[in-house]
Amino acid sequence: MRKAVSGGLPSVLAVFTSLLACFVAVGLTRGFGNAVDAFAAMLWGAFGDWPRYLETDNAGAVLRPLGEAGTKAALLTFTGLSVAVAFRVGLFNIGAQGQLMVGALAAAVVGAQVELPGVLHVTACLLAAAVAGALYALGPALLKVRRGVHEVISTIMLNWIAVSLVENWLVVGPLRATASGDNSIPGTAQIHASAELPRLLGETSRLNAGFLLALLAAVGAWLFLSRFRKGYEWRAIGLNAEAARAGGIDVSKGLVQAMCLAGVFAGLAGAVLVLGTELKYPASLGAPYGFDGIAMALIGGGHPLGVTASALLFGGLRAGGTRMQLFGVHKSFPELIQGFALLLVAARLVWDRLLARVARKKEAVNA
Amino acid sequence: MIELSHITKRFGGVLALDDVSLTIARGERLALIGENGAGKSSLMNVLYGLYHPDAGEVRFEGKPVKVTTPAEALARGVGMVHQHFTLVPTLTVAENVVLGAEPTRGGLLDLDAAVAQVQASCRRFGFSVDARARVDTLTVGSQQKVEIVKALHRGVSTLILDEPTAVLTPQEADELFAVTRALSDSGLAVVLISHKLKEVLAFATRIAVMRRGKKVAEVKPDETSAEALAELMVGEKSASPAPGPRAACAPGEVVLRVDKLRAEKLQDISFSLRAGEILGIAGVDGNGQRELAEVLTGLRDFTGTLELFGRRFTHLSPGEARAQGVAHIPEDRLRRAVVADMTVEENVALGRHAVPPFAKGPLIDFFGRRARTAHLLEANDVRPRDGTLRVGALSGGNQQKLVVGRELDGQPKLLVVVQPTRGLDIAAVAQVQRRLEEERQRGCGVLLVSLDLDEVLALSDRVVVLFEGRVTAELERAAFEERLIGRRMLGVSDA
Repeated sequence: MRKAVSGGLPSVLAVFTSLLACFVAVGLTRGFGNAVDAFAAMLWGAFGDWPRYLETDNAGAVLRPLGEAGTKAALLTFTGLSVAVAFRVGLFNIGAQGQLMVGALAAAVVGAQVELPGVLHVTACLLAAAVAGALYALGPALLKVRRGVHEVISTIMLNWIAVSLVENWLVVGPLRATASGDNSIPGTAQIHASAELPRLLGETSRLNAGFLLALLAAVGAWLFLSRFRKGYEWRAIGLNAEAARAGGIDVSKGLVQAMCLAGVFAGLAGAVLVLGTELKYPASLGAPYGFDGIAMALIGGGHPLGVTASALLFGGLRAGGTRMQLFGVHKSFPELIQGFALLLVAARLVWDRLLARVARKKEAVNA
Repeated sequence: MIELSHITKRFGGVLALDDVSLTIARGERLALIGENGAGKSSLMNVLYGLYHPDAGEVRFEGKPVKVTTPAEALARGVGMVHQHFTLVPTLTVAENVVLGAEPTRGGLLDLDAAVAQVQASCRRFGFSVDARARVDTLTVGSQQKVEIVKALHRGVSTLILDEPTAVLTPQEADELFAVTRALSDSGLAVVLISHKLKEVLAFATRIAVMRRGKKVAEVKPDETSAEALAELMVGEKSASPAPGPRAACAPGEVVLRVDKLRAEKLQDISFSLRAGEILGIAGVDGNGQRELAEVLTGLRDFTGTLELFGRRFTHLSPGEARAQGVAHIPEDRLRRAVVADMTVEENVALGRHAVPPFAKGPLIDFFGRRARTAHLLEANDVRPRDGTLRVGALSGGNQQKLVVGRELDGQPKLLVVVQPTRGLDIAAVAQVQRRLEEERQRGCGVLLVSLDLDEVLALSDRVVVLFEGRVTAELERAAFEERLIGRRMLGVSDA
């Protein structure tokens, strides 16, 4: 436990430093009073406007922000897990975005074209998305173990192929919803109600079961990596593939399996987006959650629970960011905070050195 | 005259050098001996500018000097040849030697001048090396000569050699000592870091003994003996590194047979190994020993016949080899034997992680693993006895004890060992060698690959000599003769 805390410390410091730096930046350009108001608005937007709730007894003031934060956090958790799981075997999955897209499309198609009763339909959509994501990740994995093609290159290229295939052709072409009357609707057909992920907090909040799925996936990934034989094999591969091979572990198999699981998580992110909030594959997916997954994995230290923590925080800040506009602060500020935090985590050596120096000083004082 | 005066160096909580003073005079051959971790290399690294002492000073001709980089050390005439060479393999000898002080003409590199300079240096110092040869085509012995020429070419007056004979044949070692002796007669001061007492006694004019960061003695070679030096190094009586007379060998059935085995660097290797027998593979580094060990442990593809315990294999994976009862103590433990960033317990499970007591179905059996680890640490005297530490935090000797303990824990039928005692101190060497002997007596077939010929001869029942991927000799213990084996290691067929 102590190890887990000390391992997460650099990330926590990075996030706080970046919050502080952005606060100072806003303060210097818009005045510190404004900065306090803007940050408060972001906070209320992220984790519920509790003061207004206590004042007006309006439950929506809390539930609506929590819903927005939760849905964003769920997506970030899934894509973060995708990158983190691949990272554990030493692979850099830059392809979460592409895997997310094919997953989202699979969920949208099964949701709209297949008719099944309630729970079965949702399950079928999730499964389709998971399989689609896994298959999309399988290619780079096979190229890696059979031909030595670096996964960074192949997954990046597959991201662009996904954009062309899904958004530039299928969604606007063969799979485009049939126009009703004069209205031409962009995107695929609306999914059936039976395929929608159930809402958790009533109609005022968009929080849906995808949030619980994400938490479940994170806990599952954590237990798998730490408690299961297979997880042990994956970690050994990631830390020293040659020693793992000499120890009789099938390294190629481990790499392929881990990459496929990464694809499953990214595919599920796409499914949750479609089944929970979009209810179809829109003309364009918009937010690059797949790339944000890289940030989540790095800030979360590659640990499934760390990924979840950073997804909860940044999901919240993203949701609250829109409210900062009321105070003349651009709504992309949360992304700026995320990017800066990522930079600080990447500069981890600096933190490690600083913390080591503090530890040494403490030692000297105690001695 | 160089004086190292009251040098103290601390790494974290470890006192590597504790108030050590040493002088090096012109033209002398000073041997610095001690167990691994005694501080020999650390002391010389201070002189060479790689380490900065916490206390004490270095004086050149009586003047205190702060040497902070190897470049400064070189400028003051101190050169060092490390155990791991610092040559660029794809460059020629001449290019390597002039690297850092290249002759130029009109701003461009003048390679012809470089070759001429280096050839002149080689002639002057008595080395026969082709200045135009690419370094990666040279033998290890020749590469070492290039390292020495490189230092001498800079005009050093003090030359430090860190364990120079570790990778050489007896003939190459003799040649090295002959050349350096001649150089020291003409004024060069030579510092030899070693733990081979025989060569130290034959070569040095003065011997300084280090133990646990302190200089414990300074003796003349004619006033001491190998036993006395070993006692000084270890600090207690029990120092003989070679195992005692060996029990009669009663080999059992054939556990391993290879016939016309081919793989990278291996050409038509044939031999067999019986249970209860130690078969030594002797050879100069890079003649196929490493590849042979990799084939036998499933790490490298091969053609030809490979029979394990009477069963023929055309393809072998590391997992299959292990399942058959083959254990492997590889040469490079941080690369192949342990995962440095995993705990001791996790490393004890490596290779057996799928079977009890390490697994319960698909789950890790944490209790079984902890119990087995505690037993293994105790039985093999791995210190500290803490299974939750990162393996990377253990000393090299304790890592090796852990690997040896783990591989022997499963009672293997065939044990493939490569350089099992390299870099270990005397006590750890003795323990590892004793374990190998115990395995032999238990009835395990042991294939021992070592570049240390003394070790191969001391431990083996039979020796196979490899040269350029072929077997050039196979000898029973009664017929062991160092000179003969040395010739075969160099591919010389008779005297």
